[in-house]
Amino acid sequence: METNLNTIHIFKTDIGEKNPDCPMHITLDNHSDIQQWSIDYEDVDCVLRVVSEVLKPNEIIGIVNEFGYQCQELP
Amino acid sequence: MYAIPNDEIIILNKKTINKRTFIHLLFYLCKKNRMRIRDIDKEKLVIENAIDQIVQDGFQGFSMNKLAKACNISVATLYIYYKDKDDLILKIGGTIALDFFTNTVKDFSPEMSFEEGLWKQWENRSLFALKNPKEVAFFEIIKHSPYGEAILNSSTKFSDFRTSMHQFIENALRNNELVPMTFEVFWAIAYGPLYTLLNFHKEGKSMGGKPFILTNKMIREAFQAAIKALKP
Repeated sequence: METNLNTIHIFKTDIGEKNPDCPMHITLDNHSDIQQWSIDYEDVDCVLRVVSEVLKPNEIIGIVNEFGYQCQELP
Repeated sequence: MYAIPNDEIIILNKKTINKRTFIHLLFYLCKKNRMRIRDIDKEKLVIENAIDQIVQDGFQGFSMNKLAKACNISVATLYIYYKDKDDLILKIGGTIALDFFTNTVKDFSPEMSFEEGLWKQWENRSLFALKNPKEVAFFEIIKHSPYGEAILNSSTKFSDFRTSMHQFIENALRNNELVPMTFEVFWAIAYGPLYTLLNFHKEGKSMGGKPFILTNKMIREAFQAAIKALKP
């Protein structure tokens, strides 16, 4: 099924390191309200892409901030 | 539900609204309510520009930021459609591959006689290359990269194509219409001449910079020579 475009949230971050064992990785992986997420590590803005039908951008920013990373919604 | 201003409801009820106005209205409402809708034109523009940039600068010189700028869209919009650069290359490559294979097997059957089937392939392949030079150049770049393998393994449609091609060769061998030879040698003789001519045509020149335009007569001439080499 095609993803509803309004459930995709895009953020600029400073998550520069790819580490599947880091707590943030595990939290996002196991979050019941997150259907899918990915980070483009090659991009200068380390763009975080989250697919969630429930979470609002501010809530996602809050999750990422908790792990000490910057996170800002891209317009 | 969207709040449509009263005057526009009146227009809608009197059915004086045309399709274009309606689409503009829809976009306006989506923007106002921060709703996103799939914009096919924008997607097409992204694909065209991505192909252009990768053909020109290769994978290394290509970035999501550059692409967004060239398309005059925000980086976020680009990430709505694609997860990252790899996802974008795989999706665009997959679309082109599917288009190429669909066109290549058009009116073709592995049950055809070898000469008839190979000619159909030549016709289809040259038509596709002449109509889609940029897409072919793009596919040439990704074909031998890790992306190429990933794309070909991504859909059963591609393995169906491979099976059909193998079946065609096996039938030709069984019917004694084809000389047994190493697969790569077969491929080089069966399609190499066509792709060499298509390349000359794309460059607009042949050996030593001699101006060149490919004609149907030349394609036929090359095909006859290839068939002569392949048939027992």
